[in-house]
Parts: sequence; structure tokens; C-alpha cells
Amino acid sequence: MRKFTETEVVENVNIAKDIYRLKLNIPDIVKSVEPGQFLNIYFQNSPNIFPRPFSIAGIDDDNILILYKVVGKQTEKMSSWQKGYKTVVLGPLGNSFDLSSDNDISHVLVAGGVGIAPLMFVCDKLSLMGINPYFFIGAKNKSELLIIEDPKSRLYISTDDGSAGFAGNVVDHFKSVINSIKKPVSVYACGPDEMNKALVNMGVVPGIRVQVSLERVMACGLGICQGCAIKTKDISGNNYYSLVCKDGPVFKGGEIIF
Amino acid sequence: MVDLSIALGNKLSLSNPILTASGTFGYGDEISDIVDIGLYGGIVTKSLTLKPRKGNPPPRVVETPCGMINSIGLANIGVDSFLEGKSEFLRNYTGKVFVNIAGRTDLEYCEILKRLTEENWIDGFEINVSCPNVSEGGIEFGTDPKILRKLVLKLRDLTDKFLMIKLSPNVTDIRILAETLQEFGADAVSMINTVYGSAVDINTRKPLINSVIGGLSGPAIKPIAIANIIKAYQVIDIPIIGVGGISSGKDVIEFMLAGASAVQLGTVHFYNPLVINEILQFLKEYCLQNNILSIGDIIGKAEV
Repeated sequence: MRKFTETEVVENVNIAKDIYRLKLNIPDIVKSVEPGQFLNIYFQNSPNIFPRPFSIAGIDDDNILILYKVVGKQTEKMSSWQKGYKTVVLGPLGNSFDLSSDNDISHVLVAGGVGIAPLMFVCDKLSLMGINPYFFIGAKNKSELLIIEDPKSRLYISTDDGSAGFAGNVVDHFKSVINSIKKPVSVYACGPDEMNKALVNMGVVPGIRVQVSLERVMACGLGICQGCAIKTKDISGNNYYSLVCKDGPVFKGGEIIF
Repeated sequence: MVDLSIALGNKLSLSNPILTASGTFGYGDEISDIVDIGLYGGIVTKSLTLKPRKGNPPPRVVETPCGMINSIGLANIGVDSFLEGKSEFLRNYTGKVFVNIAGRTDLEYCEILKRLTEENWIDGFEINVSCPNVSEGGIEFGTDPKILRKLVLKLRDLTDKFLMIKLSPNVTDIRILAETLQEFGADAVSMINTVYGSAVDINTRKPLINSVIGGLSGPAIKPIAIANIIKAYQVIDIPIIGVGGISSGKDVIEFMLAGASAVQLGTVHFYNPLVINEILQFLKEYCLQNNILSIGDIIGKAEV
């Protein structure tokens, strides 16, 4: 159940270029959170009024892990938070990835940039289920790579500039090895929209199921303001709007109209 | 003991002067797991239209300094689903229920009102004639006194319930519209709806909101609301319900001093969902410290 609560920073460390890992003590959220869900962080006395939604990147004892990239004033402020700093959060919010599978499915995680956050949580959960997923990680360059080794997955690294791993984008990397991965394949993705779209297009063939976690500007994160609408369609092709905060952030590939 | 109750004319009174603003609180039920909605004097629902509306294409919201621009396009479930799905929850609600309605034509407004006015759990209506983003509830009803007069006369004929009309600040002189409302039987005026606003991405050169121009809300518009309330209070006697950028108890006092009998909280719900708790606390402390027995005593007491 979602909860509005004050929390304390346990740890806030710079782990790659402009990217931080924030650990918040929120036992209430740890209890019920599922991979794919997010939480709102609220800021006091700021001219920027919206809370900021962050995918939950994992749990650790009574703590919630968040990964964030410094892109604006709020994330810049966050980067200066010290251990013990108190902030207000609301979560867990939104839906979660469907991790259900039978034994024959290959699980593939595809992350673009800081979009890796919810997939790290997915990876943890799959690992607990005894599954060793493929984990494709794309970054602009080596300095923005968040993971270079991971015992819980079969790691495939790519960088746009070729400074580490496969030279090129993460989707091309995935495509280059997909024939060696046993089908059916269940893809879990989070990254820039171009990446998401390319993966969704791959999922129109039989044997590939794609789920995507989307990022959108949100004013409330609760389904109240209806600001984060995206165009979606059902199986019969009927178009309608869905709210990323409430109906998502995870959508089946076929639902999204990019 | 401080008395926070407020009489809005002789038709109804509120347990305290705090209402929710339309579109920032759903129909009350969606947020009731987080906020104790019983703390409000009443809630104003999201705008209802005759038929359900999908709303405008994205992007629908953009953050601006101390505010936001929205162009949601009155996405709502329509009057049938409202009666079917929300009446049970609202019937059990202890505060007052005001249903906000929006139509494309006089006829549509009347049709919606007719469908709702017999419902005993509805305490009143707020008529949206000031949405900047759509033709329903569109601003044309709320900017021309002649068109407004025609609409209010028709609505007044259909209901004895509390009828409040929400005005736009996007007019030359809000006093003329407020006077029109009083003259033709409205029970109250709520002001202000959002202010025309826009924003452009300097890299893509595209507007940051689908409709190019949307409605600005949040603390950025608070001084505009105060100015309009001060102006309207000088010319009308029916209650003014103040709305626009309120985010604290101090703001509520300021609105009431300017002439508001009650207020609505809107955008603040997005960045401080539990704000009602601290506001009620502040109002009580302010009254105690200033020897005010009833908060209603401060209405319009700004020395302007």
C-alpha cells in the first residue's frame, strides 16, 4: 500500500559520471514494493513544484535504493544530500513488471543509461527465483556505465562510442546476439523512447514478449492530475490514453503508441 | 475554542473554509488512502461533462517557476459513470460535495444539472465557465457577460441547490462578470481559474504543452487571484470562494482578508498532499494569537 512518509538518507554516493545511488530508510515501502514501481520524492521551498518520480532500483534491509542522474536543479540538490538528511516520499507507486514465466522462457533485460534502475531490481528478483537473466546494458560511454560485472546475470555491455564493450547502441547489441538466445524471450526494458520503440518493434514477432517501463513528466504521480497521459491501444486496435503513473509505468510493448 | 465554520449565504455552511479545487483531487475516492478527506470543509469534484472525455493529447503538463501549465482537456468519466461509480463514496462523505460541471452549450450544462440536482448527497454545483483548454466549459461562457447571464438564468431555474460559478482571470474586468452573477441569482463566485500560460523548448523550438497555450496554476498565480478577489469583493455581496496558488495557512488568511469566504486548494495537492493538516493547525493558531473567535470575522478585513 502506498504511503506518504518522512525518510532519512542512509547513503548517497556518486557511482558514475553524474549518476548517484541513493539509499533511503523506508521499511513501510520495502515491505510491499515490486520491481517496476516508483516513488515520489518531495522538495521543500523550491521554485520547482513537482515531486520527482524515481524508479526503485532495489531493496537492502529496510532501505530503498534509487539511482538518479543529475539533469536539473532538483537532482543537483539531491546530489548534496548527506547521510541523515530528511526528505518526504510517497510510494510505492504505479504497477510492476510481470515476472511470471515457465521454465522455457529466456529473460532478457535491456537498459539504456540510467534506465537501468528498475531492471536492477528485476534482476535481483529473477535471481531469487533461480533465474539467470541476460542483461544488456547500454551507455553513452565508459564513464556512464553503472555495472561492469554482475554475478546475478549474463552481462552484455555496449557503449555508443565504443569505449567499453560492443560499439553501438544496446538494441543493436541485443539484435546481434538474439539468435543465440533460446526463444521464447521475455524482454524487460527501460531507457530512452527510441530504444523502447525499437524493442517494441522487435516484439511484434512471435516468441518475443516485451515489457517497457516509461518515464514521463508527472505533476502528482497519483493518477489525480492526469498529466502523464500517453497514447495506447488495446488488442482490437482501439486507441485510448493511459496514465504512466497509475496504469504504468510498465506497459506491454503492444499497448504503447509511440 | 476557535470557530472555523463558515456560512456561505443562507443555503449552506462549511465546517471549515477549506475546499478542494476541481481537477486536483479527482472525485475524492482516489486519494482517500493518503489524505483524510474528512478534514476538508468540502470537496469540489473534477469537471464532469455529459459524455466521458478522453482529454487532450500529450504533453499535458509542464513545470514552470513556482507553478505549472496544464492542458488536460477535462478528461473525465462523464455524468453516467459518475452517478454509478462515485455516489456511494460521496454519499458517505461528511463534508459538503460540490460537483463541477462543464458543457459545450447551454443545453449541455442544463442537461447535466438536471441529472444531478435531485441527488440528495450533492450539496451544490460549481459551474466551469473558465477552462482555457477546451470548448466544453470553455472560457467563452465566462468572458462575455451576456452569454454568462443567459447561462446562469437557465441554471438557476433548474436548481435550488448552491450554485457557484468559477470565473477566469483572463478578462478585462472581473467585476462586471461577478456583478452579473450576483444579479442573476448565483449563490457564490469562485475565482480564479487558471491563467493563460505557455512555454517553449529552446532546443526543439516546440511548445512544451500540446495545446500551445494552457492554464497556469500554482503559487505563481497567487497575487493575481488576490487582486481579482479584492476587486470583486468591492462590488458583490455573495460569497467569494478564493482559489489560485494557495499553499499554506498564511495564504488562506491572506485570501480571506482579501474577501474570500472560503478557499479551494488545488495544485498544492500535487506537491504537498497532506497540506490540509498544517493549514487547519495554522488557522487555529492564528485565530488564537489574534483573539479571533470566529474565522469568518476576518473576511474582507484587509485595509485596502
